[in-house]
This record gives sequence, C-alpha cells and structure tokens, in this order.
Amino acid sequence: MEPVAVRARALPARRKSANAVFQGLCYAATALGLTALCLILGSLLYNGVGGLSLRVFTEITPGPGSQGGLLNAIVGSLIMTVLGVAVGTPIGILAGTFMAEYGRYKRITPVVRFINDILLSAPSIIIGLFVYELVVVPMGGFSALAGGAALAIIVIPVVIRTTEDMLLLVPNQLREAAASIGAPRSVIIRSVCYKAAQAGIVTGVLLAVARVSGETAPLLFTALGNLNFSLRLTSPMASLPLTINQFASSAYPEWQSLAWTGALIITAAVLLLSIVARVLVSKRSGR
Amino acid sequence: MSISATSAPILPSIATNGAPIPHAAPAREKVKIEGLNFFYGQNQALKDITLSLRENQVTAFIGPSGCGKSTLLRVLNRIYELYPNQRAEGRVLLDGEDILDPKQDRNVLRARIGMVFQKPTPFPMSIYENIAFGVRLYENLPRAEMNDRVEHALRGAALWTEVKDKLHASGTSLSGGQQQRLCIARTVAVKPEVILFDEPCSALDPISTSRIEELIDELSSSYTIAIVTHNMQQAARVSEHTAFMYLGELVEFGDTQAIFTAPKNKQTEQYITGRFG
Amino acid sequence: MVNIPMSAVSIGGRDLAVRRFAASDAFFRLLTRSAAYFVLTLLGGFLLTLVFGAWLALSTFGISFFTSQSWNPNPDILKFGALAPIYGTVVTSAVAMTLALPVGLGIAVFLTELCPLRLRRVIGTAIELLAGVPSIIYGMWGLFVLAPVLQNLENNYLAPAVSEIPILSTVFAGPSYGQGILTAGIILAIMVLPFIAAVSRDVFQTVPPVLKEAAFGLGATTREVVTRVVLPYSRVGVIGGAMLALGRALGETMAVTFVIGNDPKVRASLLAPGTTISSSIANEFAEAKEAMHSSALVALGLILFVITLIVLAAARLLLLRMNKQAGA
Repeated sequence: MEPVAVRARALPARRKSANAVFQGLCYAATALGLTALCLILGSLLYNGVGGLSLRVFTEITPGPGSQGGLLNAIVGSLIMTVLGVAVGTPIGILAGTFMAEYGRYKRITPVVRFINDILLSAPSIIIGLFVYELVVVPMGGFSALAGGAALAIIVIPVVIRTTEDMLLLVPNQLREAAASIGAPRSVIIRSVCYKAAQAGIVTGVLLAVARVSGETAPLLFTALGNLNFSLRLTSPMASLPLTINQFASSAYPEWQSLAWTGALIITAAVLLLSIVARVLVSKRSGR
Repeated sequence: MSISATSAPILPSIATNGAPIPHAAPAREKVKIEGLNFFYGQNQALKDITLSLRENQVTAFIGPSGCGKSTLLRVLNRIYELYPNQRAEGRVLLDGEDILDPKQDRNVLRARIGMVFQKPTPFPMSIYENIAFGVRLYENLPRAEMNDRVEHALRGAALWTEVKDKLHASGTSLSGGQQQRLCIARTVAVKPEVILFDEPCSALDPISTSRIEELIDELSSSYTIAIVTHNMQQAARVSEHTAFMYLGELVEFGDTQAIFTAPKNKQTEQYITGRFG
Repeated sequence: MVNIPMSAVSIGGRDLAVRRFAASDAFFRLLTRSAAYFVLTLLGGFLLTLVFGAWLALSTFGISFFTSQSWNPNPDILKFGALAPIYGTVVTSAVAMTLALPVGLGIAVFLTELCPLRLRRVIGTAIELLAGVPSIIYGMWGLFVLAPVLQNLENNYLAPAVSEIPILSTVFAGPSYGQGILTAGIILAIMVLPFIAAVSRDVFQTVPPVLKEAAFGLGATTREVVTRVVLPYSRVGVIGGAMLALGRALGETMAVTFVIGNDPKVRASLLAPGTTISSSIANEFAEAKEAMHSSALVALGLILFVITLIVLAAARLLLLRMNKQAGA
C-alpha cells in the first residue's frame, strides 16, 4: 500500500484575512470601550479634582456666582438613600423569599417575576411621576419623604431579583436536611436559606445602593432640591445628583466647577460600592 | 437455574457470616406500612407496598435504580410534601398511629423519624451550631446541658475525638466522611426513634464507608433503622431484614440471611446474582 | 455502645413548639406573600396614576396627540403633540443600538476568545465599571467634552464630506451646535455598551467548551467559530440582552437631556437638536403651571411606559419561543 503523502495545508488567504479583520475589529471595539472609560473618568478627575477641598464637605451650596461647598447635597443624598434602602430592602427580601420558597411552585410567582422585571427596567423618570401624584400632591409639596419613596421603588425590584436568584441557588438538599430534623418552613428559610445566600443578598443590596446614589430623574419632582441645609423630611431636600444637574446646566463657572467636583465624589462612591460588592462575591465563591 | 435448598451463599462474596441475626422472638413492629401507593403527578411510583420495620433492627432496601426504594423512604418522614404534585395513599403506622394523617404534625414526625441523605449536607454554621440547631427547635436547654448534648451526639457518631477542639469551625471545613458523620450526629441529637439512611455511603470513600457501617451497627441497638443501598454486600453486612423492590413493587421481603442465600422469588435471585440491575 | 436515653423530651414541650411553629409559619408566609403582592399593586398603581394623569390631554387631543408636532404651553394656546418627543426617543435609541450592539459584541468576543487570561478579569471589570457610572455624569461629559468636539467635527468635516451624496446629505445636514440627536445617540451608545458587553460575555461563557473545541479541531478560525458556533448557540441570550439594553436607552433621561438640544421639532438631520420623551418631562414638569401642560407630560410618560413594556414583553416572548424551539 502506498503511503499517503501528508501535505502541509495552508489556510486559504481569504479565510485568513477575514479572520484577521474580525479579530482586529474586536480589539478595536475593546479599545473603543476602554478609551471611552478613560476619557470620562479622566475628564472627571481633571475637572473635579481641582475643586476638591475641605470646604466642599463643610460648606453648603452657594448662591450663584459665589464660592461654597456641597455639604447639604451630600447629607441630603445620604438621608434619602438610607430612607430608600431602609424601606425597599425588607420589602424586596420578603418578596424574593416568597418567590423562591413559599411560592416557588405557585402560578402567581412567574407573574410576579415578570412584573418585577418590568419595574426593574422602568424608566426612573416615570417613577418620579408616580410618586409625584401619590405623595407630593397629597402632601401639598415636595419633600425628602417623596424622594425616599421614589428611591425605595427603585431599590425593591433590584433586591427582589438578587434575593430570588440567590435563594434559588441554595440546594434543595439543604432544605430537606433541615426539614428532616423537624424544622418548620419559616425556620428553614431564616436559619438555613438566608445564611447560605447571605453574601449574595448583601451584594444585591449594595448594588441597589450604588444604583440609587446616582439617580437624578426620580428626584426631580419629588425631592426637588434645596440650596439650603435642611434635615426636615417633609421639606424639599438637596441631593448630590440634583445639585450637579442644576449647577452643570447653569452659566456660572463656580457652580460648574462644583458640579464637576460633585460628579467626582458620586462616581467615586458608586465605583467603590460596586468594587466592594464584587469582592464580596468573589470571596464567597473562592472559598 | 434451580435454587438449592442449602444455606450456602449463592455468591461467595456476599457472605452472611457475622451479619446480625434476627432475635429469636420477632421484635415489635415499630413502623407498619399498609397498602402504600405513591404518585409523582400521574405516574405511580409505589404499588401497594406492605411491610414492617422491626424495632431496634436494621432493614435494608435493595433494588435497581428507579425501583422506588428512595421514594418509599421519603414517604416515611413525609419529606416529599416539600414538593408539589407528589402524593401518598395508604397507611403508615408509627407505634400504631397513622403518620400520613393530615392531622399529624409533620415537623414533630420528622423529629421522631430522622433522615441521613446521600450527599452530606452540613448547614452553613459551625459544627456546634449544626447540632444545637435541631435541639433548640423543641427544647430550651441551658448552656451546660446543650454542650453535653452536642458531645453525646458527636460521640454517638464517632466524630467527637476528631472535632472536639474545633467545635466552632464551619461544618463545611470537614472532609466528606466527617461531614456525613456530622449529619448523623445532627440527626441523633434530636433523639429520634427511627433513622432513615438514603444511600449514605455512595458519595464516600471505602474507609469512611466502613466507619459508617460500623456506626449503623452500633446505632441499631437504640434506634430502628432503614437503609436504602445500591450495594448488596453492604445490605448483607448491616441488616437483619432485607426488602427487594422492582419497578415500584415489593418483590420479596424477609430475613437478610434468607434473601441472600435462598431467595424465594426468581427476580430476587436474578438481581442478587447480578443478572440485571 | 452508645446509650442515649429515649424520651427525655416531654410531650408537653413538643406540643408548645408545634403551636409556636404553626403561628410563626403562618405569619411569615403572610408577610412574604404580602410583599410579593405589593409588587403587583405597584405596577397597578403606576398604570392607574399615569392613565388618570394623562386623561385630560389624551381625551382633548385624541389621535392628533400622536401626529402633531406642536408643543405650546402658552396659556392662550395650549396645544400639545407628542410626535417630536416620540421621534427623538426612537431615533436616539436606534442610533445607540446601531453603534453599541456591534461594539458590545466585539468586546464580548474579545473577552471570551482573544484576551490573554491574566488581563481578562481586569478588562472585564473595567468595562463593567463603565456601567456603574451614574447617568448624569454621562450627561455632563457629553455636554462639556463631547458636544464641542462633535460640533467641530460635524461642521468642518462630516457635513461638507457628504454634502454631495443624496440621502446622506439630508441625514447629516449642518449646521450643528454639538447638541443634537446624533450626540445623544452616541452618549446613549456608550451607556448601554457595557451592559451589552457584560450580558453577551456571560452568555458566550455558557457555550460548552466541547462545541468550540470541536470547531477549532476542524481547523476553523476564530472568526468562523464565533460566527458559526458561539453566536448561533447564544443568540437567545444576546437578543434578550440587546432588548433590555434597548429598554434602558429608551427611558434614559439625564444623559440625554444635557445633549439633545431640547427643541420639540422633528427634523431630518441627525445633527439637528430635538427632544425625547424623558427629557421633555424632566425639563418641564416641575414648572408646568397649566393642568393641560402637566397632563400632556404625563401622557408622554404613559406612552414611554407602554413602549418600554412592549419591548420587554417582546423580549420575553422571543426568549420563550426560542427556548421552546431549542427543546429546552
């Protein structure tokens, strides 16, 4: 039998070049994305760092054309974020618990999940409209409570989603093991499932916090904003994104500079939270 | 092939020498299953099962995959009720009371009939808490008594010496065999009357397996035990009674010695000699 | 031999526990169920409030609300039409998706196939960080940095370059003020880009390695493996992710408001200013004095909500049907 000659085959030029072009495009796409990130963060730093000083954290927002800080805006953001998260997180965790545990096999759960997805992706400005009609109109004015309510409505779907996903990941064998020593449903959920899904649920809450810290639209006609320092929950309250919005679109250079500084502060806070959430997840899975 | 009437084992490897010998007077029926049928949706998985588990003895359930032995076990502690579309019909009497009766509280039932699963499942807590968790459900013990309980349970599972210095380490930090023994300790700590073992050794190495088998032997002096196993030699080693199941039916049930040396049913004989399964 | 005393637990103790458990189970079940139903009432509340608020405007203008470009809050005139905002919303989102989809997929392919392992995590995280940047930052950056650059490019290079070509000369007609539909579209594209990249990357990673190895083993190039194996396998997830990104782009407010130019007119050129639904609401709602004005804005909100709902429902249905086809 004649040995079959093994020919060294070369890839046809057409396929080779098509592949090269394709790969080149992918590299380019990534470069584009990274460039955008660098440009944005870069201009944040460039324009915002100059204004960073102790004054930013100790003085309240100035009138047009004067110098000042962002104290009331920062405090306002903290207050409303805490409000929103404090109200939204328990509701979100409980609802997610129902969907993953008591209601797992019930027909209502896929409906709730679908509606939750809608709320998750709902434009936040519409949430602002809703809270306006529901809270601002009856109360007769804008308030921090309204702002907190709007933020809570944004927090709830995020927390529901992560809670349900994390609880669904808990293996059924664990539940069976707890049931088999006589633990009732509520104890199984609280003592076993929550413990097992802990890291994931906390991550979900952190992500929700990161998301609402940067929200502007839902606060536009709920909290309205306030150039003075106020801790009253029933009055309009300042927030960092709202202040940035007002100052950036103004014509006063001092205000614009503060806007950049505020933007830098918010972005840093949000990125920090996201990184912490990420570290928590990887620590959990790295075990 | 005709079945010889001698008591020589059919398979030399399944020697029943040294296996527990049933007591001269039959022990009391701790659990009595009468006409049990079980359905997954429309699918019938158990057909008219009737048998008894004798008190303080080990009953093994053998049979090919899908024959219903695990399903049967899971009826005994009503763990199937965690899922929709699964239902049991018939009677299962524990000390004379029908546990399938909806009026029976299933949580208390599960504290009386414990279960050890195929895959070790330590709770995401410390070793101490894993055991204290179940005890706390029904009893309010002061610290010193709880410590004793935990120690008792761990000794009962032959795990005490290995973990006594790290009771606050996480349950998941133990090896597979240790985790399974932790699960056994956890089950024993709530003082059940019956313990169900669902293929407890199939995820373990041979050394851990033989330790668990020793444990089952010790435990049987205080508890009624039912064990589902794929491993016929294991069934022959640890049990006094054996049930052979096939396609949801109880094909043969009797003394382990008899089943393995002189099975009455042809299917049993074929399974034991490895013709199928 | 282990000797554990048998009935140390009194029957009384167990009975108490049983009753306690039944109560706590019932309570917890009620609590969680209420929370889940609350979600339903939230959505119901949304729709109700929006419909009530929009009723005045919709019943007054009827169909013309969708076809008219007029937007006059003057108390003597009070004529409103949603055509310009709807047009702006749809076109900016279309521009955004056209730009972001290929780039996002390219990044996902890079991260899963081409990137050296050590850099994968870093670059992946960097792209995801882009997603975390608050939208108002995008708006500011767009206004102060991108818009002037684009204005320069569009007036001095783009418009002259296409001034002879038939269709393109209308689509890219000057003059440009930097703020316009195209700028808004580009900003939106950068905003949804990380989302598409992350979702696509996650979906690509679910492709079983054996499938890719089989293709590579036959001598296929990376391009061929991606386009003939990876993409078809994961198209369900990719499309789902794209539609979610579209939903996000449609509803985006702050990033767009800064750079769209806020001119309630429909114009053929992408370089011209325009408006979107969300930016109209954002700009005017707090100061709307006339009831008709507010109602028109709420009507805009209702339209936006319905559009987003349709996109989401379509994404879901698509996923369902494709899963059925795949025999999942």
